[in-house]
Amino acid sequence: MSKTYFDETHCAFGHPKSTFMQWMLTIDHKRIGLMYAAVMFTFFFVAVATAFVMRLELLAPGQQFIDGDTFNQAFTLHGVIMIFLFIIPGIPAIFGNIVMPIMIGAKDVSFPRLNWFTFWLYIVGALVALSSLVSFNDVDGEMIFNFADTGWTFYAPYSLNTGTNVITTLVAAFILGMASILTGLNFLVTIHRLRAPGMGFFKMPLFVWGIYATGWIQLLATPVVGITLVLAILEKQFGIGIFDPAKGGDPVLFQHLFWIYSHPAVYLMILPAFGIMSEIIPVFSRKEIFGYRTIALSSASIAGIGYLVWGHHLFTSGMADIAKTVFSFLTFFVAIPTGIKFYDWVATMYQGKIVLSTPMIWALGTIITFAIGGLTGITITMVGLDIHLQDTYYSVAHFHYAILGGVVFLMFAGMHYWFPLITGKMYNEKKAKIAFYMNFVGINLLWFPMFIAGYLGMPRRYFDYLPEFEIYHQISFAGAVVMVSGLVYMFWVLFQGWRNGEPSGTNPWNATTLEWHLPSSPPPLENHSKVPYVDFEPYKYENGEPVVKFDYETMKRID
Amino acid sequence: MSHEYVPEIATDRDGNEHEVQGWQDDFYGGKLGFWLFMLTEVMMFGGMFLSLAYYNTLHPHDFLEASASLNRWLGGTNTVILLVSALTMGLGLLRMRTGDVKGAKLMIWATILLALIFLGIKAVEWNAEYHHGIFLMHDQMLPESSMAFGKKLFFGMYFTMTGLHGFHIMIGIGLMLWLIKRINSEKVTQDHHILYWNIALYWDIVHLIWVFVFPYFYMIGAGDVVAGGGHHGH
Amino acid sequence: MDIKTINYEEEKKVYYKVLIGLLILTTITFIQPHIYTANTFASQMFIAVIKAWLILMYYMHLKGEKLIGAMVIFALFLVSFFFIIIIGIDVPNFQFGDESYIMSAPHTTK
Repeated sequence: MSKTYFDETHCAFGHPKSTFMQWMLTIDHKRIGLMYAAVMFTFFFVAVATAFVMRLELLAPGQQFIDGDTFNQAFTLHGVIMIFLFIIPGIPAIFGNIVMPIMIGAKDVSFPRLNWFTFWLYIVGALVALSSLVSFNDVDGEMIFNFADTGWTFYAPYSLNTGTNVITTLVAAFILGMASILTGLNFLVTIHRLRAPGMGFFKMPLFVWGIYATGWIQLLATPVVGITLVLAILEKQFGIGIFDPAKGGDPVLFQHLFWIYSHPAVYLMILPAFGIMSEIIPVFSRKEIFGYRTIALSSASIAGIGYLVWGHHLFTSGMADIAKTVFSFLTFFVAIPTGIKFYDWVATMYQGKIVLSTPMIWALGTIITFAIGGLTGITITMVGLDIHLQDTYYSVAHFHYAILGGVVFLMFAGMHYWFPLITGKMYNEKKAKIAFYMNFVGINLLWFPMFIAGYLGMPRRYFDYLPEFEIYHQISFAGAVVMVSGLVYMFWVLFQGWRNGEPSGTNPWNATTLEWHLPSSPPPLENHSKVPYVDFEPYKYENGEPVVKFDYETMKRID
Repeated sequence: MSHEYVPEIATDRDGNEHEVQGWQDDFYGGKLGFWLFMLTEVMMFGGMFLSLAYYNTLHPHDFLEASASLNRWLGGTNTVILLVSALTMGLGLLRMRTGDVKGAKLMIWATILLALIFLGIKAVEWNAEYHHGIFLMHDQMLPESSMAFGKKLFFGMYFTMTGLHGFHIMIGIGLMLWLIKRINSEKVTQDHHILYWNIALYWDIVHLIWVFVFPYFYMIGAGDVVAGGGHHGH
Repeated sequence: MDIKTINYEEEKKVYYKVLIGLLILTTITFIQPHIYTANTFASQMFIAVIKAWLILMYYMHLKGEKLIGAMVIFALFLVSFFFIIIIGIDVPNFQFGDESYIMSAPHTTK
């Protein structure tokens, strides 16, 4: 039996003998991706639990078991964990790390030791975030829950005045942002420098295009929020004045600076996810992807145009009317490349031999849920509508459909797709599908009523509400129960698959991209036996069968 | 640590050989990576300049007055010092690339010295401002003082930006000291000098930021627009 | 990249020429408010941009780097866009100036 990446590894320094230290010091992109996954999913479940607590509180009007201030801390915690600790590292940290280098025929990323450092920087950021949960009472040293209560958006001037642990959370977000920047940097250089000979940009798999476009957002947008957080810290600590109206500071400036990052951040979330969709659809339609070049260029366009639209978060802030018009106009444009992708995916499936394996049904489900998310986004791009719907549950439902029903669902699709690659095993297909349906029913029960509630005026971030909204919260709660059960069940099925599943072989889906042409499953430490010469396009099928075949010892084509 | 990395060869279907670019020994990759990192600095300082321009637009007159009250001669001296230090850094790199290790180290020490003088002059300036009642959380910059909003915001950003710039200079000094150590242990040589290249680039960007910080804070009030005109040096 | 063949004298000359250029521009920076009083801000920024261009092209060896040059231009374009929208369109059309505390007398003279 040949050695896999679980049996041996390269370390940042030294040659440790113990398995534990080998994991702590590993610079192997595959192990690093796995470690990110372990930490990130733990945080994911903490944030899900926080949301569940909120849903419980909101089950009926009036206070149930937590007060208003604690509720504010709950939605802040949910947002901070989900955004900074889970979804922004997200698919790049896990699948960008594990799969992308293999897809381009590389042995690792361009800067493996930086990759190792970046992972531990993420951990430091996570620890600082954890430390911001509590404070120690000046009087008797008692520990109190003092997490920020500002919302994950930290708007001035409240964030300046509140006594909760805002500064520590901002420091954590800054450190986590640095990790995101370094990941993006590493991936950009990797994709420019380490593609196999012959693999030009337009022979790369579309997931790599997604990671590439994302890298540009990670690199250039994150520093803007970095400096915004630093300025907010300096404001709160040293009173520099720029966000404090008492000194002439304008809170709208904070909003501008914050959203210059946070809007591109959502494209940072969805572009790798769309990349996963572009991988799954051709494999399970047994057909070449329709419109490869347009999908690739649409990823680049979304990243580019996405920088220009942040003002649609400021429609009700006091920004100048003419600026609102400009931003509304630009925001409509960014939907176009996304629409193109959707049409291309559907065209790929047309006249294909559809295989309804678990990754495919996750992808198909996402087409529905993300379409709802994306289209409702277009409705609030209209300034007039947004004046009414801003800060209601309509916006919240919109972004949960887009992020949960888009990014997270596609992350789950990727998990089921690349599971055999990473573990060498296969999960129970029937149970995995049941888990999907539970999640799909759950998300719609949980979030669809919220569009209606928001339209009828239910405000967001409120812990109490008028009795006319109760029915929506009750249906939502039912959806939350179904969804959480579905999530837990899905992870259980995957965990059981890893422990007791059947060996999967190196190419269980009979796919074409390079990660499925490894000599062993799980992969060897340095991926391919030899770097192949790539003179073919990534999704070539003929009569439902892959065209390109390799000898896995020499990586020479034998078709 | 020997870098005996031998690149792999990939053969295409016509039998032609192609050298595979590995992650080891990739000079261009190292350069590209560092340039990307510097773009993040551009975005960070860009955000700060944006904030500065925002309040400048709201309070043009107060900004000019505040700018006129800064000491242009100290600021200008610092500009020249940083300028010369960029030269010494570049010359040092050039010497290393031709094999003159001793000359290279001399240039690095010269750069460090100039950087320290820069910081010293900055400290003198900040001290003078402090004694005029202008400093963070002090006297004129407190919310209850009567100083105009425009001036409070100008000085808030002045201390922030010159402070963060000075912080980057300190990091630069640290990097240069580390570089000397790596040269001494022969990890950085004529043939393997990507670290030196990137630190020189870092120093250039620190200089570049000052090229914009200096006129925006010190020079905009130098014209006759200011009531009373002329220089009020401290 | 083959940087083993370098012409020490040539490159040193370039460094010193750029130094002289930068020193001259710095001098102009100080003279400008006295000789061209129309728009000090624009003049100062213009001189700064020329200095920056010299530093980028020659000290930072950006001349001849196509890929990295394109990336720098992209980042600069983004920053310019932020300026054009916020400083060019939003703030000059601040429509609540009359009621806003941050623009109220006596805290602001103009």
